[in-house]
Amino acid sequence: MGERWDREFDAVVVGAGNGGMAGATQLALSGKKVLMLEQHNILGGFSTSFVRGRFEFEASLHELCDVGTREDPGGAGVLFRDLGVDVEWAYVPEAYRLIVPEKNIDVVMPFGIAEYIDAFERYVPGSRPVVTKFIALAKEIGEALAYLAAMKGNPDKKVLLKKYPNFIKTATYSVDEVCHALKMPQAVKDILYAYWCYVGIPMSRQNFTLFAVMLYKYLLRGAAIPRYRSTGMAEAFERRFRALGGTVQLNTRVDKIIVENGRVVGVRTAGGELIKTRHVLCCAAPPKVFNGMIHPATEVPARALKSVNARSIASSGFVVWLGLDASPDELGIRDYSYFIYRDTDTERLYRDFSSLGRPSVQATVCLNRAVPDCSPAGTTILSMTILYKPEAWKNVEPQDYYRLKNEIAGYLVEDFEKATGCSIRDHIEEIDISAPPTYARYTGAWQGVIYGYEVDSWDSFLPRLMAMKDEQYIGGLRFSSGWGIRTIGYSSALQCGQTEALLTLVDMNNEGVTA
Amino acid sequence: MSDKPMKFKVKGSIRDLLRFKNLVKKRAKIIDAAPASFKEEPYINTLAARLHPELQHLVVREVIEETGTCKTFRLVPDGAGSRELAFFQAGQYLSVKLDVNGYRITRPYSISSSPSDALKGFYDLTIKRLEGGFATGFIWNTWKTGSAVTASGPLGQMYHAPLRDGRSIVALAGGSGVTPFRSMAREICYGRLDATLRLIYGCADDQEILFHDEFRELAKKYPDRFSFVMVMSCEETSVEGCEKGFITRSVIQKHSNPAVDSYFTCGPDVMYDFTGLELAALGVPVKRIRREAYGEIKKPLRFKDFPQSAVGRAFSINVRLKQGSVVVSASGDESVLVALERAKLAPPSACRSGECQYCRTLLVKGDVWVGPECDGRRAADRQTGYIHPCASFPVSDLEIVLPENGEVRKN
Repeated sequence: MGERWDREFDAVVVGAGNGGMAGATQLALSGKKVLMLEQHNILGGFSTSFVRGRFEFEASLHELCDVGTREDPGGAGVLFRDLGVDVEWAYVPEAYRLIVPEKNIDVVMPFGIAEYIDAFERYVPGSRPVVTKFIALAKEIGEALAYLAAMKGNPDKKVLLKKYPNFIKTATYSVDEVCHALKMPQAVKDILYAYWCYVGIPMSRQNFTLFAVMLYKYLLRGAAIPRYRSTGMAEAFERRFRALGGTVQLNTRVDKIIVENGRVVGVRTAGGELIKTRHVLCCAAPPKVFNGMIHPATEVPARALKSVNARSIASSGFVVWLGLDASPDELGIRDYSYFIYRDTDTERLYRDFSSLGRPSVQATVCLNRAVPDCSPAGTTILSMTILYKPEAWKNVEPQDYYRLKNEIAGYLVEDFEKATGCSIRDHIEEIDISAPPTYARYTGAWQGVIYGYEVDSWDSFLPRLMAMKDEQYIGGLRFSSGWGIRTIGYSSALQCGQTEALLTLVDMNNEGVTA
Repeated sequence: MSDKPMKFKVKGSIRDLLRFKNLVKKRAKIIDAAPASFKEEPYINTLAARLHPELQHLVVREVIEETGTCKTFRLVPDGAGSRELAFFQAGQYLSVKLDVNGYRITRPYSISSSPSDALKGFYDLTIKRLEGGFATGFIWNTWKTGSAVTASGPLGQMYHAPLRDGRSIVALAGGSGVTPFRSMAREICYGRLDATLRLIYGCADDQEILFHDEFRELAKKYPDRFSFVMVMSCEETSVEGCEKGFITRSVIQKHSNPAVDSYFTCGPDVMYDFTGLELAALGVPVKRIRREAYGEIKKPLRFKDFPQSAVGRAFSINVRLKQGSVVVSASGDESVLVALERAKLAPPSACRSGECQYCRTLLVKGDVWVGPECDGRRAADRQTGYIHPCASFPVSDLEIVLPENGEVRKN
């Protein structure tokens, strides 16, 4: 047996996305010997950036939820503090600007709960009571989740029922179902639902718990982005992880997770190296892992495949990055975050994720409005994002790919100009465009998906958390990304990685395995 | 808001609570009802691999003598490792992987054939033999009909982007730097790229001109899409209707419209320096100037800010390997990448111009000088100490972590 392995580690992290980096750092902090393997030449996964000419573009992050300040950190802020990862943050100025030309909606919504409710009342007179009620529910849910975390997932059920009954009562419903019970008028939903695309499924299916807590945390603590793009965050993890004695290995793809008798015994790299370990934190998607990475394949339990097939795979992204040769003031770009929707019917908008026509949704960010010196003086960075279900790109042939990307990018630029009245077309100095295959190329993401599984109420984070023990199909293998227990999103993936690392430590203790 | 939870129900208090109680059971039922078979091929990953293969395994089908110093190597898939060629955008290059007597190196060469030609099954690489060239000498001696060639997928940023560049492209080419523009000229004339191309082509002598007949033919056949003018810097030339001298601002002004055209440049580094100043003098904004990657800096001493203290000095690089380390010698006037390749360490690389990031390497100790036009580092990379060895020159002894080369397989 000793002959077979090239090296040995307490734990191996497969893929250094947000969850991988957080998990690896947690394990290293706890004194474990950890190897972080990443197929790309940089850590971070989607948390990255790239340089074109005199611009450095943020690859994926719009705004990180729940960071807070050093003095009053939110959940994500606490994670960075506890792991000793020092990130320089910049703060996003407003919650969002929502423009729906067809419904004559053009509103700028502020952070801060009172401020948000006041702005709502100004835009939709009479909305105060129902918005206040919604936010009271959201607050209760936020507090219930904090209580669950404090109790390490073993809450006193009586306390839960008495103090947080609405958390329980709403947990199984969609946003639409809860808002129907609140008798929320359409004009209020039109504005309140704006963040729906951050979760990416229609409000008739989107789990209320997830949406409510997201909105609440954004309003309570605002949003942050790393001063030096997501790479600034990824490299803060890297520096900390290395300082803790962790081993980073880039340009190394893991192609097999080796399993014997239902438990991990090692991994094999594409270069043929065999690394012994009993614990794997995995950023690769479960569909990818259970459809080819487990070796031998006979070690994949039938229920693991059922578990994959029962879920719906969420969306991939399409982003147009623009480096503009005029300042935001000169261009008239006043805000950081723009949601521009053709309609407020989220069913209809979602349906369009599956086809390649003119996009109905765009979430556009002007980075300079949070980090004024992110580009040279007199220039602007603008990025426009839409979501696509993989099937929209199923029949695209390579020879049509670049033309198609340019065509869709053209629609987005045109729609932004029309909605905001800003002229950007004649100022494009640098442009780059990503599409679903781009995400597959750089991270190996299954079907280019950036969001993991869709978050229906039966597959939101509460049920994932509650069923966690039944759904660990292979001993020592834990998923630490948006596909994992915390569901989609930047801070969710970070927290998922940390949680799975803590559970790995419990496993190690129970086994009595030491370095 | 009070601390007491508000009274609320979605569909009825008991019903809401029951639904919660049954949540995990319901989930288990949904999972158990799903099939245990493999559902679907990941077709997006397949598309990504077709567009951006890590490696392409090719064979030389034909060697075409172009000029005394240039040959075109026509490459086709080997049918085993690669069954098709990756589609690309006119102007892109391939990073060719060479094993020269155990020294594993890379060289970037623009694809001189068009994307439509790739669909027909071939890439052309038109390569100039450099005097004393390590790589080109090897290619000349060993690439014959039937030889195996390993290359990257198509890479590079110098291609037409319709939203940025508009329809009117002016190419400023020097010598063998014309290769990406033959690709563009063909694609435009074939009607697969919606733009016009005006080529201003500088050469040092008549024998150096590449693709002259083809350019004349295309210009004659497609006058609305393609035209070209030769700019000859030699005393004597038999090229009719050419401009004499270099690609100066007056030549540019005469043959293009600096107020609207987009300028793409490819040629030797001295030409970049020169045409860059000429375009700036004509008031062409940065946004209408594209350049092919700078190419490896051969003489860093010609840059004013190159530290005099490093001139002509020998340095050592302590290279951390996966296990253990080795010490490599380096000199102040060659890139860190060349020093590593000379020591047979085979680090990854592609553009050799500081642009593509492939060779990204952690610098643990020491200082490097980075070429001003080749500094493609991210802000965070500067903080952490990542460098691009292809565009970095040692100015002190160094310690680095050797990046793994994902392409080099054990077996």
